[in-house]
Amino acid sequence: MTSALVHEPVPPQKAVKLEVVDMSKSFGGIAALASVSLRVEAGSVHALLGENGAGKSTLVKCIMGFYTPDTGAVMVNDKEVEIDNPRQAHMLGIGMVYQHFTLVPSMTVLENLVMGRSHVTAFIDWKKERAELSAFVDSMPFSVPLDLPVASLAAGEKQKAEILKQLYLNARFLILDEPTSVLTPQEADEILGLVRDMAHTGGITVLIITHKFREVLAYADEVSVLRRGHYVGGGKVADLTVDAMAKMMIGERDIAPAATRTERAPGVICLQVRGLTADDENGDAAVNGVDLDVAAGEIVGIAGVSGNGQSELVEVLAGQRPLTGGAITVQGDTYHATRAEMLRHKLALLPEEPLHNACVGRMSVAENMAFRNFDQPPFSKGVWLSKSRMRAEARGLIERYRVKTSSPDAPIATLSGGNVQRAVLARELGGQVDVLVAANPVFGLDFAAVADIHGQIVEARNRGAAVLLVSEDLDELLELSDRILVMFDGKIVYETPIEQADRTNIGRSMAGH
Amino acid sequence: MNSDLVLRFGAGAKIFAVSLFAIVLSLIVFGIFVALSGVNPLDVYDLMYMGAFGSWFSWQNTLLRSAPLLLTALCTALPAQMGMVIIGGEGAFVLGGLAAAAAGLLLSDMNAPALIVQGVMVIAGMCAGGAIIASAGALRHWRGVNETISSLLLSYICIAVLNQMVEGPMRDPTSLNKPSTRALPDWAMLGNIPGMDIHVGLIFGLLFCIVAYVLMFHTTFGFAARMVGGNVRAARMAGLPVGRLILVVTFLGGAAAGLGGMIEVAAVQGRANATIASGYGLTGILVAFLARQNPLIVIPVAILLGGIDASGGLLQRRLDMPDASVVVLQGIIFVILLASESVQGHLNILGWLPRIKPRTSAVAAAKGAE
Amino acid sequence: MDETSIGWWGVPLAIFAGAIRISTPFLFVSLGEMVTEKSGRINLGLEGTLIMGAMSGYGIAYLTGSPWLGVLVAGLVGIAFGMLHAGICSLPKVNDIAVGIALMLLGTGLAFYLGKPLVQPQAPNLPSINFGWWSDLQQVQSALKINALFIIGVVLAPVFLWALRNTRWGLILRIVGDSSDAARAMGYSPLAVRLAATAFGGFMAGVGGSFLSLYYPGSWNEGLSSGQGITAVALVIFARWNPMNCLWASLLFGGASALGPALQSVGVTQGYYLFNAAPYVLTLLILVLSSSSHRHIAGAPGELSVTR
Repeated sequence: MTSALVHEPVPPQKAVKLEVVDMSKSFGGIAALASVSLRVEAGSVHALLGENGAGKSTLVKCIMGFYTPDTGAVMVNDKEVEIDNPRQAHMLGIGMVYQHFTLVPSMTVLENLVMGRSHVTAFIDWKKERAELSAFVDSMPFSVPLDLPVASLAAGEKQKAEILKQLYLNARFLILDEPTSVLTPQEADEILGLVRDMAHTGGITVLIITHKFREVLAYADEVSVLRRGHYVGGGKVADLTVDAMAKMMIGERDIAPAATRTERAPGVICLQVRGLTADDENGDAAVNGVDLDVAAGEIVGIAGVSGNGQSELVEVLAGQRPLTGGAITVQGDTYHATRAEMLRHKLALLPEEPLHNACVGRMSVAENMAFRNFDQPPFSKGVWLSKSRMRAEARGLIERYRVKTSSPDAPIATLSGGNVQRAVLARELGGQVDVLVAANPVFGLDFAAVADIHGQIVEARNRGAAVLLVSEDLDELLELSDRILVMFDGKIVYETPIEQADRTNIGRSMAGH
Repeated sequence: MNSDLVLRFGAGAKIFAVSLFAIVLSLIVFGIFVALSGVNPLDVYDLMYMGAFGSWFSWQNTLLRSAPLLLTALCTALPAQMGMVIIGGEGAFVLGGLAAAAAGLLLSDMNAPALIVQGVMVIAGMCAGGAIIASAGALRHWRGVNETISSLLLSYICIAVLNQMVEGPMRDPTSLNKPSTRALPDWAMLGNIPGMDIHVGLIFGLLFCIVAYVLMFHTTFGFAARMVGGNVRAARMAGLPVGRLILVVTFLGGAAAGLGGMIEVAAVQGRANATIASGYGLTGILVAFLARQNPLIVIPVAILLGGIDASGGLLQRRLDMPDASVVVLQGIIFVILLASESVQGHLNILGWLPRIKPRTSAVAAAKGAE
Repeated sequence: MDETSIGWWGVPLAIFAGAIRISTPFLFVSLGEMVTEKSGRINLGLEGTLIMGAMSGYGIAYLTGSPWLGVLVAGLVGIAFGMLHAGICSLPKVNDIAVGIALMLLGTGLAFYLGKPLVQPQAPNLPSINFGWWSDLQQVQSALKINALFIIGVVLAPVFLWALRNTRWGLILRIVGDSSDAARAMGYSPLAVRLAATAFGGFMAGVGGSFLSLYYPGSWNEGLSSGQGITAVALVIFARWNPMNCLWASLLFGGASALGPALQSVGVTQGYYLFNAAPYVLTLLILVLSSSSHRHIAGAPGELSVTR
């Protein structure tokens, strides 16, 4: 708002070369970045690879001026620059597209683009702005409807609008943070292809943060790998193999081998959903008549781009959302997600964002671990609660599931994401499980935790549980499921046994074709 | 083990320290305020101490005033365990008093035994107050109506109903200046605690606080209710009957305030009139917040604020200060408490749902920019 | 008043006049709160701000003899309260609803404390404009005496609507209210914008309060406001954060509040106190009808806590 008065340097008009030299940043004594150096050539696509917590986002936040690095410098076109805030980054032609969209949902694309500018006149002449922006959009390789509210756009269009906004703001060095996590494979290919073409014609330089090797191989020219804050390798993608990159990314740690599904004939149908309908929080239909069966000893995976009714489906099964029609039966009995039914049918749930969906942040780890059976002996005698028994049981679970916590009495919100997930896992899978519903159970966790949790899910299945696994990560589904369903627009539109599963067909169904 | 103990009791000590800090700071600010309006703050402090805790007489006065505060505070503190901010205690108090007066007059006209009359008055008061707050709870749960706003609106409606009844159908024609219902016969009134000039309402209040504490923190019901209060999504995932829990707890909260109204009628005023809406409900909100919505801590806090309340009369008589002085001090305490709580960095201590943020790295990124 | 001349016709006329009179504070408070809520904050403390505005406006008008100076000072006091609210809310982990309750208490207490000497003296009132000169009927003339503040409010509503769509400030306000992450990414500070929006809401509430003491009822006493502030906050939700709807809703509420006095004026005194509760009942009914337990209210700012 005030910057209109300051004389601003004009951002560069062509692709920018950017170098990071010896950059370190620590938080409370823990080094998030340790002497990382990195060079991104002008007009190239550079991938920044690493697992969660490797320091990728700390690095780009330092580049964008969100953080001030402890040591090190950023060079733009071979000149050292000072970046204290995102605005200065923009002035240097550096722009970032965040993993989750930062356009204002209730405003139109046009309003978003105009307001993203650093100069906006006090009174806005929409006629003039629309004419200018239409001309700009026409000059770009992809277009977005200008007059629709962002909330009504599909994920792919939102992603395009985000990139368009950065280009409109003259970003010539574009940082894309996990840009494909909410897209179908086809949408991802389209957008990454367009961005790569723009880079190779010299218009922009691109830095993609990702953990998907497929995208690195297909679209990046060079790659840098971070592990635990250190630069551990990189180079021309053409010279590297997936194995080599994986080794750099994970290091020489032992990863528990992914549990293998034992051969077994599917048992009786445990979870049956018929004609299920449910609304989203705006009151619009989100689940439009879903039928599905999950047999004992089977993992049924549901693929789909987020926002196609999967989370609403899981919420109905979890009792967090009322159904508007249809029926659910568990082991032959009608199911209304009451506590008695959940206990009787040994139903377990691993929802996404466990702290948000399955925990009470300010209650202790021990209390959170007792949510399923606090009203059963030995935790209760009649109406009375036994806190000492809760603590004792929790100690056992903490030990068995390797939950890192200072004490069973620590509020669960003080634990790290992976440990919250483990605590929920301990609670849900600690006893006998007949039906398991899991939604994006490993989102945001590192390799070790992912392997661990996948192992637990497969083990539950091998013990005879009926598992419904909803995930936005197709690789996870392909690895774990016995059968894959695709959900689009609130309906199941495609089904395939794992033996015949094919990425292209699944991707096409995810886009509704 | 040591860290467990620190976690379990350290939090309590910290809460106590923050409250004490807030009250001391508020007294200083209030002192500056009265000094600016030309009164010597030392005189004010001295009189406040004298009026609140300086003699057995003032102690009794203080305890008399803290009795209704114990109950109206529960009207905010109990629903707060479920993550709801209820501020309609005044309405539940008033309606409880009116219902108790109606029931008491009806039964005493029929010459029912005193214990029956009093018992029915208690039930009537609790049901009336409970129904009002439970309806705010029901509206929140089934219609998504913000319970803070609805409970306050309901409170205004209750006061209007009281006025209508005491000016209209229930009016005693002999009450000219101050329209009231007929007076309860003396034999139907609640008596004093033996050996003191304090009515048994204080015992009711203390008992209600202790029972509420045990219910919320030592039973499976309370555990379930606190789960709902902490994160309703987690509670639903555990299959808990969220609606029923909300109804029961809001009813209990309202019943506490309604009982307070009954006591005001049956032990103090002897009849229902506009004076029973004298702000106990509002002060109760502050008591609940200062007590961090914990029914047991409500007890000392209610006594403290009852003392401040009791000293108001002395300030008015001796220093000619406006009767609103007490409200000013209460407002200052409330504001400073909220601010100091945050400064001390407590995690979500007030008991509402955490504001859920999407799991974005952009959030973290943007936070870094602040 | 001579009722017999127009008989029961006096009722709609009295409701019309009452609607305009009574709606004015609702209109100001709700327009101000609309701006605050558009920024993603709710200020329940406006009840206290309203009373402070009434007291300070009356006091200044009495001391200086100028009611308009009173209105201005009432607005400034409102700004101070708004900034206090926003200031505390910008501390981490503070809930805006709790701060609102605290300021409700503080504002009321301060107004009664400082306003005690103002109960007796009579301050000059705000002027009104007579639109009823064409009629011989005394009731029509008095009904069409329209106060100046109401006219200002009526003009402000469409101006706000336009400004929210066509000015930089209006759009920044909407951005901050809808997504503070997006606002930060665009380089706007949500805390600063909310501070300004809450201060503005306080200004409007202060002005609305001064109307109570300086026009209708036109004197200062402790029973002056009973819930107009909180009702106006609820009214913004009913108005779906649209300034023009704030105007219509205020008139509706004014009309409901005028029902009791209007009926009394023609001799219907039954249930007078219940009619006083009419605006609260109406507010509650409207809240019930316009909310839903598993659906966001359409048009609600994304950052607003009460609608989530």
